[in-house]
Amino acid sequence: MLFDATVDGRTLRVEVRAANGRYAVVVDGRPLQVDLVEAGGAFASLLVDGHSHEVAFEPQPGGLRVHLRDDVVAVGLADAASGAASPLRRASGPARVLAPMPGRVVRLLVAPGADAEAGQGLLVIEAMKMENELKAPRGGRVLELAVREGQAVEAGALLLVIA
Amino acid sequence: MSAPPRPLRKVLVANRGEIAVRVVRACRELGIASVAVYSEADRAALHVRFADEAVAIGPAPSPESYLRSDRLIDAALRTGADAVHPGYGFLAENAGFARACADAGLVFIGPRPETIALMGEKTSARREALAAGVPVVPGTFEPLGDEAHVLSEAARLGYPVMLKAAAGGGGKGLRLVASAAELPSALARARSEAQGAFGDDRVYLEKAVERPRHVEIQVLGDAHGHVVHLFERECSIQRRHQKLIEESPSPLLTPALRARMGSLAVALAQRVGYLGAGTLEFLVGAEGEPYFLEMNTRLQVEHPVTELVTGLDLVKLQISVAQGEPLPFAQEAVLQRGHAIECRVYAEDPDAGFLPSPGRILALRAPAGPGVRDDSGVYEGWQVPIHYDSLLSKLVVWAGTRAEAIARLRRAVSEYRVLGVRTTLPLFERVLRHPAFVAGDFDTSFLETALRQEPVPHPRALDVAVAAAAIHAFRARQTSRPQAPGPAAAASGWRRAALREGLQTRLGG
Repeated sequence: MLFDATVDGRTLRVEVRAANGRYAVVVDGRPLQVDLVEAGGAFASLLVDGHSHEVAFEPQPGGLRVHLRDDVVAVGLADAASGAASPLRRASGPARVLAPMPGRVVRLLVAPGADAEAGQGLLVIEAMKMENELKAPRGGRVLELAVREGQAVEAGALLLVIA
Repeated sequence: MSAPPRPLRKVLVANRGEIAVRVVRACRELGIASVAVYSEADRAALHVRFADEAVAIGPAPSPESYLRSDRLIDAALRTGADAVHPGYGFLAENAGFARACADAGLVFIGPRPETIALMGEKTSARREALAAGVPVVPGTFEPLGDEAHVLSEAARLGYPVMLKAAAGGGGKGLRLVASAAELPSALARARSEAQGAFGDDRVYLEKAVERPRHVEIQVLGDAHGHVVHLFERECSIQRRHQKLIEESPSPLLTPALRARMGSLAVALAQRVGYLGAGTLEFLVGAEGEPYFLEMNTRLQVEHPVTELVTGLDLVKLQISVAQGEPLPFAQEAVLQRGHAIECRVYAEDPDAGFLPSPGRILALRAPAGPGVRDDSGVYEGWQVPIHYDSLLSKLVVWAGTRAEAIARLRRAVSEYRVLGVRTTLPLFERVLRHPAFVAGDFDTSFLETALRQEPVPHPRALDVAVAAAAIHAFRARQTSRPQAPGPAAAASGWRRAALREGLQTRLGG
């Protein structure tokens, strides 16, 4: 099963397969062998390559807040489109930037026709009073802006296209 | 002047949340029955569950319940309580309430009403301090009149100045004013804030102290004229002039300064005939000179820090001196042993300007193990009300040294899980790793300056978080089929998963 996970302003392709009671997970090309068991309520115990991680899952619109031992990480999750390679991951061709979570577009940081560098902030989406800056998955020209400031968007909505 | 000891049999706790739980616990250990009071928002609150009896006192807004002196006294009389413990906040420093309790034949567990009135008005407290030989921050000793009066006094003191509410406390009505140009608008806001918080818009001025540290001295007095101090608490880690982390001993104080501040505090408390537990707050300037700020005539939120280093139980001692008993020890017998640190777990989002975060606590696990104390007022499943202070709990640790205490608190914070509402816990994680905090080199601006400007790099296990989230989603999909794939369905799938697990997502913004 393929997901697009948004964390820290970056969107990562994640693949999950169940294998022998464990999970083979590939995060952005990095393989992880994960043993996850539920540990009461919202808690789960993870063993990743012998390292023990206790996590707790807090649902939020469009994803989860994952509580780790020393950190809380907001992870936006969306099903990747029908298992096809994500347009975001392709090195060439137009990249469609999608909303990682339902929310409201607070600010546009680029204009149509502008050139954006990889990692540059494109726009800011607010969800649950939190503002999240979406960054360009790669460099290119902003071909199309599909949203305006103040607009509410659903998870997975097209925000803009970079080519 | 002192009445013969009168053992208390039943105490009404005129408060809510963690402090009400704290008082109920002390009563139970003493074999004294406890009566909780609750508003409509607090029927299922922990303090109600722990108390022996409970009385409804009105609707959720505190002016209609926890601030209703008449209903509290009526509840005490109807349940046959012989004393009232006010906790902190609400009516704890209200001389009228203390007097009304006495008039109804109830023991008010706190200082005499005259003392509350005298020390509660900040300028009369400053006059008392001066008379007791306690240094105060240069400033005015009477509430100020109109804007022209405030401007001329500020010019006399020299900018920057602090504009403060005479009836003040808790950072309300407090403004740092850098120049005469800023003063008129600051004055208007301070007055309106003070009027809203205390029903009293009088203000006074103090000269602003550079790089101040906030150090306070705990005192305890009995009805026989004895007053002791229980050493200091360092409270410089603050946001919006409200404390977040407190510790004892203060890493700043030398033994000589500690002894000096202790005797200054005792001198002032003795001068006003102090009865019960109280705290004298001082600012310590960059050159190590202490200035009296104000006195809190009640139990302090951060009292556990003092309890852990002295081995004393302040609530039991409050009850004991309220019964008319003499203090069971002399000053020389009070020792400060090891190091204690407290962090206040508020339902606030430290990454969003400390915005309050009310809501249901979906999951909760408090830390445990050696040297850890969690004074909490909440539980898993509890709906944190929007009406009250957002303090959920106080996490306090004790260890032999400051370094060990910091390591222990970091360990305890890493065990603490609160889901469903945002809390200040992630902030503590960052503060406790910061070199300036670890070195004890900080002042009251730490959160706004050092922590913001020099954040500690923190390797984040993002891949683990992403993998865990994806597996969680994978498992949710496996159990909620058939379902059309696609991002929009994913969002509603999450909501269904949340409902299925009996969880409730916070719908916002």
